[in-house]
Amino acid sequence: MEITGVSSLNSVLKQMDISTPAEAQGKFSTFLKDSINKVNNAQIESDKVTEKMINGENVDLHTVMITSQKASILLDTTIQVRNKAVEAYQEIMRMQV
Amino acid sequence: MFHGLNTTATALTSQRLRMDVISSNMANVDTTRGKLVDGEWVPYTRKQVVLQQKDPGFSSFLNIAMNNSSSPGQGVKVGKIVKDDTPFDMVYDPEHADANEDGYVAMPNVDPLREMVDLMSATRSYEANVTVFNASKGMMMKALEIGK
Repeated sequence: MEITGVSSLNSVLKQMDISTPAEAQGKFSTFLKDSINKVNNAQIESDKVTEKMINGENVDLHTVMITSQKASILLDTTIQVRNKAVEAYQEIMRMQV
Repeated sequence: MFHGLNTTATALTSQRLRMDVISSNMANVDTTRGKLVDGEWVPYTRKQVVLQQKDPGFSSFLNIAMNNSSSPGQGVKVGKIVKDDTPFDMVYDPEHADANEDGYVAMPNVDPLREMVDLMSATRSYEANVTVFNASKGMMMKALEIGK
């Protein structure tokens, strides 16, 4: 595999078709919203299957476990992203001006 | 993101179905009245599952065509449940309600020992797939620890 050096930030931004910080922020916020929706949908899916199981419908036990695990992994991922974001924010707030 | 987990889920579902079929075979090990054919009772016939690779689907084919690479596979499914055509056991038991004129009774072609072996195999396969699932999950959880 060919390994190339890390190109400068400007070229990366150009590749992503972002010119202003406002645009970048907008893209990030929609991305974040979409991700959180995905996590929420996973939780809802898990709730649905669990309820089906409790109501005695024909649902495999492992389906219930797997959907709940998926929801749990997605939630953990979200928490990690949030931690990173808060960490970055606090780092900037601690900055001496 | 969850492709591996979904694949494992199909395997677990298949093994569960296999287990259900084994349960049916074991439950009917002495059933002399499986179904009525031309006014006569025929004993229960042993059932067997046929496992089949899950259809890759259109998106997978498109991906292969576009990237010139093969897909990781979509898992497994039970293609069909077939009947075992081995002949019935003829057991001498003149007292039996379903005995013929010579005193022989046709018993199901289910061998309890063979069913036990199948049962162990299904259980172990299920366990193995659960292990794969846990390993897959473990990998993702480890990935979340990157940079901690």
